[in-house]
Amino acid sequence: MTLRRTLLAACLALAPSLAWAQGTIRIGMTAADIPLTHGQPDQGFEGNRFTGIPIYDSLTQWDLSAADRASVVIPSLAERWEVDPADHTRWTFHLRRGVKFHDGSDFNADTVVWNVGKVLDREAPQYDARQVGLTATRMPTLRRAEKIDAYTVRLITSEPDSLLPINLTNLFMASPTHWAALRAQHPTAEATWNAFAAAPSGTGPFRVTRFVPRERLELARFDGYWSTKAKADRLVLLPIPDASARTAALLSGQVDWIEAPSPDALGQLRSRSMTITQNLQPHVWPWQPCFVAGSPLADVRIRRALNLAIDRDGLKQLLGGLMVAPVGTVAPGHPWWGNPSFRIRTDKAEAARLLAEAGYGPQRRLTIKVQISASGSGQMQPLPMNEFIQQDLKPLGIDIEFDVVDWNTLFGNWRQGCQHASARGAHATNVSFAAMDPFFAMVRFWDSKMAPPTSNNWGFFNQPRFDAMIREARTTFDPVARDAALARLHAAGVDEALFIWIAHDVSPRAMTPRIRGYVQPQSWFVDLRLPYIQ
Amino acid sequence: MSTAAEAELAIQAKVAVAKGQGYWAGVFKRVRRDPVTIVCATILLVMFLAILFAPLLAPHDPYQGSMIRRLRGLGTLNYPLGTDELGRDMVTRLLFGGRLSWFMGIVPVVLAFIIGTTLGVTAGYMGGKVNMAIMRTTDVFYAFPSVLLAVAISGALGAGIVNAILALTLVFIPQIIRVAETVTQGVRNLDFVDAARSSGASGFTIVRVHVLGNVLGPIFVYATNLISVCMILASGLSFLGLGTKPPEPEWGLMLNTLRTAIYVQPWVAVLPGACIFITSICFNLLSDGLRQAMDVKG
Amino acid sequence: MIFYLLRRALYAIPIALAVGFVCFMLVQIAPGDPINAIVPPDAPGDVVEQVRRDYGLDKPLPVQFGLWLLKVVQGDLGRSLATGRSVWSDLSTAIGNTLMLAVCASIVGFVVGCTLGGLAGTFRGSVLDRLATGIAVAGVSVPHYWLGMVMVVIFSVQLNWLPAMGAGPGGSSDWAWDWEHFQFLVLPTITLSVIPTGIVTRTVRGIVAEIMNQEFVVALRGKGLTRGQVFLHVVKNAAPNALAVIGLQLGYLMGGSILVETVFSWPGTGLLLNSAIFQRDLPVLQGTILVLAMFFVALNLVVDLVQAALDPRIKRA
Repeated sequence: MTLRRTLLAACLALAPSLAWAQGTIRIGMTAADIPLTHGQPDQGFEGNRFTGIPIYDSLTQWDLSAADRASVVIPSLAERWEVDPADHTRWTFHLRRGVKFHDGSDFNADTVVWNVGKVLDREAPQYDARQVGLTATRMPTLRRAEKIDAYTVRLITSEPDSLLPINLTNLFMASPTHWAALRAQHPTAEATWNAFAAAPSGTGPFRVTRFVPRERLELARFDGYWSTKAKADRLVLLPIPDASARTAALLSGQVDWIEAPSPDALGQLRSRSMTITQNLQPHVWPWQPCFVAGSPLADVRIRRALNLAIDRDGLKQLLGGLMVAPVGTVAPGHPWWGNPSFRIRTDKAEAARLLAEAGYGPQRRLTIKVQISASGSGQMQPLPMNEFIQQDLKPLGIDIEFDVVDWNTLFGNWRQGCQHASARGAHATNVSFAAMDPFFAMVRFWDSKMAPPTSNNWGFFNQPRFDAMIREARTTFDPVARDAALARLHAAGVDEALFIWIAHDVSPRAMTPRIRGYVQPQSWFVDLRLPYIQ
Repeated sequence: MSTAAEAELAIQAKVAVAKGQGYWAGVFKRVRRDPVTIVCATILLVMFLAILFAPLLAPHDPYQGSMIRRLRGLGTLNYPLGTDELGRDMVTRLLFGGRLSWFMGIVPVVLAFIIGTTLGVTAGYMGGKVNMAIMRTTDVFYAFPSVLLAVAISGALGAGIVNAILALTLVFIPQIIRVAETVTQGVRNLDFVDAARSSGASGFTIVRVHVLGNVLGPIFVYATNLISVCMILASGLSFLGLGTKPPEPEWGLMLNTLRTAIYVQPWVAVLPGACIFITSICFNLLSDGLRQAMDVKG
Repeated sequence: MIFYLLRRALYAIPIALAVGFVCFMLVQIAPGDPINAIVPPDAPGDVVEQVRRDYGLDKPLPVQFGLWLLKVVQGDLGRSLATGRSVWSDLSTAIGNTLMLAVCASIVGFVVGCTLGGLAGTFRGSVLDRLATGIAVAGVSVPHYWLGMVMVVIFSVQLNWLPAMGAGPGGSSDWAWDWEHFQFLVLPTITLSVIPTGIVTRTVRGIVAEIMNQEFVVALRGKGLTRGQVFLHVVKNAAPNALAVIGLQLGYLMGGSILVETVFSWPGTGLLLNSAIFQRDLPVLQGTILVLAMFFVALNLVVDLVQAALDPRIKRA
């Protein structure tokens, strides 16, 4: 078929090469394939960034408008919401009026019920098991939705959970009308979802105009968008998993913007006057300690000493400037910061003093074993970075040993815990994580109920004080009070040095200087309505 | 019993004389007159010794790098061939990398040579149903392009040296079976084999003495030719991430990890490929030279 | 003759079946649970089981093979675990792209190989012969993925003459035969053509040298025929074998383009295979290998039949 098409094109030879309209931004993604377009993207947060947020909206969304402040959750398709004061598992969401899908149909309460059903209601015709796997873990407590009136819905959770509005940024609203039209032409729900993915319909600022699997996704500005419309006319998304191929594509003008240029190519990119952008990302690249008796990291003095001993400026230099030195899981100024009294910095003298207090030093060396991976999503440059720290800590009398395992293994071991055979006696593990959502940033590590195999409290941290603070945060429904509770939790975590915080990733991008208006927020996501090209 | 044994011995001796000194002396003489073969053999010998004694020759530790001196260019003091993306000495990495590359280039061919010759000679000598069973199975594997088969098997099994060697061995066995079977069939009907058979020698002895003596040469030459292909394929698998795993040095994998550095140190980044190329072309030319010297067709 | 052709064609059927079996077994030898390619490791257990049932991964092996074969015969290669799209929909586009690349590389290999081989065979022992033979050996010995990298460094990064990756400014679906698109094909084609060039050069050189020594050519020359007329005879006699070689090379290139496609991000079967391997998307892996192997089986058959038809010496009935 393709051959025939090719030959046809050859015969006609008039197919005018696509003249790029003004305002078309071509983006090289790191994914090997275009993330799923049916509304619940795969490929991690890169999927949400490129085939979630631009095409769809969710009830709540991240504020992506500014680079200089923390990105927080703001209203989107829901204008406001409140929890039932009598029953904290019942929420009321008031929906925005006048929102239209790309296919022209209206967004309303039925849409929300339908979209909750697609992943949580097994009996619903639109239920799609594939989307469950990609969604359920990101909103663990949501159970079902009920319509109250045309623009009001009730959401019900399995337990009181004040984090629900944050979780809801992951549930994108697909058009039931469009789906029903496709369902009439396809034998099964699964086939219908595949057809929907090929021609999606959401309420987002861009609509899909062309989808070539594995090669390109073309989006055009949706002029019926309910909020500020996009500046660029079109976006073209290209999967280019190989970092050097991405760089080559940008340098030769095949694309205008690439995700995650390799640090080695920065010099070349700058010399060709490409813009390199970066900003703090809610991401932590830590050593997560084992708190079990017998682990040297069960001693808070040693954990603090390590936090003080690491030369993060040197590490930053190693990465070509592409990291931010962390002072906690979130940065100062963030609503959950909480002003901890333990100040994370590089102070080798203080680190040596703490170590001596714990009974270690150059004379009596401390050996710590860390399980690390050679690569992996969000892992930055694990081998060189760990190796740097190893050399950096040696003069203080700390010998770091590495157990290098495959990324999937390291990730899998994360739910086995440091007492399991899979840890192979490691005192710390080096799994990086996204820290946008308090559950994923703190709760799953510091709640004793989250110990393996339930979740990622790999080190079996267990302090009733922390359990109480977590319970308080999850059951405080006033957003300001909830954030204050989370801030107390974060401050306590930093004071106890519950991680060795080593780096924040900065989500580097390189783009041609012709791109204007671009804002890189402190987020994994980007507001693609803002940039345009000259 | 005794007569059969005597007959075997007699034939053994005769063949040894017939094929012995004169033949190999001739081969050696012809090789000596072929400068290309000599040069290639010398290069390979030097390479072999260099990677064999890598721990003695290498100026640095193959795993220990330094971030401060990463990606230095050719001709850097103390690092004549520069350093890699983790600041490890390229001379050292290439020396140690050669060990795995050679290992993965030669071991599958040796394994395939042993297994393929056994099966091929059996098929060729026994004929009939045995031949049918072996050769038709071979046809199935022959129906896959070799790169595809190697990628398919190691892709399904997952990355790793053992899996890659397994995949490559499976790729080469059918090819050697075919050559062995053809050559054996040719030898089977020769006069002296008939003579041996009529004088009462056992089938096993005939195969061991007469058939193997005559077929091993051509199969061996064919196999040396495969080393070059195998080395490229093995490095190719590592290049795809299906062979060795970091931080193990191997030329194909080094080429893969250095790819991001082609903007910084392009000529350092392509060095491992040059090593693969030189080794492969030398094995190829050596195999050609041997074939001519041994007067083997095919 | 007809008998031979018929027998040869019939023999392709059991081979094709056996190839299918090998492809099915590929997935069975793969370690690990394919379910992990569909759901994230922290998905709840009942969701995993639900998905497992939906994908038929809970049935016993022989049943899975039977079902699979039945579907394959009907042209259904299953659905990708990663994307949910039918394997065939992605594969058909990819095959077109790989075919385009492989055909171009075969043409280059054939033309360059025949020229070099013909010259070398005609002027045996000359400098020209040695040069051609040297190129041929280098062609079959060079790790072509490395050659591709070197060419990217020279022509894309340093000189900025040719694009480094991709299949045209608008991807393969916007392909047109003008320079703007064609330039994307140049480096991958050259890279992929080095092996067939080497092999064709060697083969043609051998054939031509042999023919030139044959009595009838010597006789023709004695009769005072011009070089051109002799050349025509040589071509007539060398063509069937050279065509057979390049025909098979096309099959090898189709199956072996994974490395070149990876270097140049060429959206063909190789790149598809590569991403299927790393996402452990077994249906895609299986389908791609099956189709490529079947293509090779068919090509082998066609080459044999054509060769038999062209070359009167093959008449084993």
